[in-house]
Amino acid sequence: MTKQTFLHDKHIQLNAKMVDFAGWHMPVQYSSIIEEHKTVRENVGLFDVSHMGELIVSGEDACPYLNKLVPQDITKLVDRKAVYCQLLNKKGGIIDDLIIYKLEDNKYLVIANAARIDEDLNWMVRNQRGFNVNIINESHNYSLLAVQGPKAKDLMAKMGVENLPEFFNIKRAELCNVNLWVSRTGYTGEDGVEILVKNEFSELLWDKILEYGKEFGIKPIGLGARDTLRLEAALHLYGNDLDEETTPVEAGLSWSIAKNKTEDYNGRAVVEEQLKNGVSKKLIGLVMVDRGIARHGYNVFYNGEKVGIITSGGISPVRNENIALAYVKAIPEIKSDTMIQVEIREKLYNAKVVKRPFVKKNNKV
Amino acid sequence: MSESMLCSKTHEYLTGEGGNYTIGLTDYAVEQLGDVVFVELPEVGSEFSKNEVFATVESVKAASEIYMPVSGKVVAVNEDIVSTPELLNEDPHGNGWLIKIEAQPDDTELADLLDYSDYREEVE
Repeated sequence: MTKQTFLHDKHIQLNAKMVDFAGWHMPVQYSSIIEEHKTVRENVGLFDVSHMGELIVSGEDACPYLNKLVPQDITKLVDRKAVYCQLLNKKGGIIDDLIIYKLEDNKYLVIANAARIDEDLNWMVRNQRGFNVNIINESHNYSLLAVQGPKAKDLMAKMGVENLPEFFNIKRAELCNVNLWVSRTGYTGEDGVEILVKNEFSELLWDKILEYGKEFGIKPIGLGARDTLRLEAALHLYGNDLDEETTPVEAGLSWSIAKNKTEDYNGRAVVEEQLKNGVSKKLIGLVMVDRGIARHGYNVFYNGEKVGIITSGGISPVRNENIALAYVKAIPEIKSDTMIQVEIREKLYNAKVVKRPFVKKNNKV
Repeated sequence: MSESMLCSKTHEYLTGEGGNYTIGLTDYAVEQLGDVVFVELPEVGSEFSKNEVFATVESVKAASEIYMPVSGKVVAVNEDIVSTPELLNEDPHGNGWLIKIEAQPDDTELADLLDYSDYREEVE
C-alpha cells in the first residue's frame, strides 16, 4: 500500500535508509543526517519531495474562491508569483499550510503536504458551491525535486538556467531539454529552487543534477536532514507545529496574514479577534541550556507550573546546540531570554526562550 | 573479539569474563540509529537488574532506551562518549563502549543472549 515516488529506484541504488512517511516509502538519509545537513548549509543538496501534493485550481472564480479559503490576499498575486498560505477551517484552525502560485489569470498551482491532500481536497470541494472553479489533483503526474543551498544558483546556471525567478516566484524553464517549472522556494532557509516536472523526466533530471552538481559538492539529502534544516530555519511542520486546533496567529504566522483584506475568508472572525485582543497560547523558540534534547510531546514548565508542550525539537548542527519549538501559555513573563524548563524522562532541564529562526536565513537573495 | 561477545535482542552487547564485563551497543544497532548526538549514562556504583533501562542514547531522529543484558553493578562509565557521542558510531565495539559492570550472571540470565554471529543472523 505504501506509495513510491518515480525516484524510488534511485534511492535504493544510493543505499538510502528508507522509512514510511505520510504513506510514502521515502529516503530518511543517504549517508548521515548531520553531514547532509551541513552539505545544504555550505554547498548544495538534492531532495526528492515528490510526495508533496500538487493541485491545479482553475476557472473564472479561481481567485475569489482561493481568497475565501486562506487569510492571505490572493487578489494581490501577479502572474508567476507565489504566497505562503494557511488553509483555514471556520474556527481559524489550520487544515494545511500551502504555497499558492498564480500561473496565469484564472489558474493557480497549490502545493500541499502529502499527509493532508485528502483533507485539503475534501475541504476545498465543500467550499466550492457558488464558485465556477475546477480543482484537479495532479499529484500523481508530477515529481518535485528541491535543489537547496548557497551553490544552488551556480549549479542551475551551469545547467543552463541563468536567470532564476526571484524569491517566491516561478517560471517555465528548460533543463536537459525538458520543459518544467522552476520555483525559487524551499524548506531549508537556504537559497534554492524547487523543480516541478512530469514524472517521466524525473529520473533523468535527478541523475543530471547529481552529475552537474559534483563540482559544487552536491549530495542527495533525505527527510532526516530536511527536518533538521527546517527546524533551524524555524519553518513549521504540519502535524507537529500546526494543526486544526491552532490558528495562524497562535502559530506566529501573523506576518503572513493580509492586512486590510476586503473579502471574507473562513475563520476571519477568530483570526481578527486574536489579532486585536491577543491569544492564549503562542509559539516560541527554545535553546537548551542544560544537556538534553527536547522532543515532540515533552512538557514545558515555568515557575513550577506546566505551561506548554514541545512541538518540534532536536539538534541544530550549525549552532551545535539543541533547539525546539513549543506552544506555551501566552503570558508576558515568557519572552526572549526567559529561562523555562523542559521535562525529559521525568527530570526538568533548563532552556532559554530565543528569537526565531535559530540560524540566519539566506534565501532572500 | 566477536567470539566472546554476547548480544541481546535489544541490541546490547556483553564482553568480558570472571565477574568483570563491558556493555555497549552492537554495530548493527548503531548503524540503524544513525548519527548519535547524545548519551546519558548511569552513576558509577548504581545497580541494575537484567532488562532494566540503564542509559539513553539519542540519534538525530529519536531517543532510545538501553537495557541491561545481565544484572550488575556499574564500576565505570565511558565519559568520552558523553562528550563525543560520535565515538559510538565510529567504534561501537571498541572506544564506543557504554559501561563496565561487576556481575555474576547465572545460566538463566545468559540463556536469552546470542553470540555475535547468531545475533547478526537474527537481525539481518
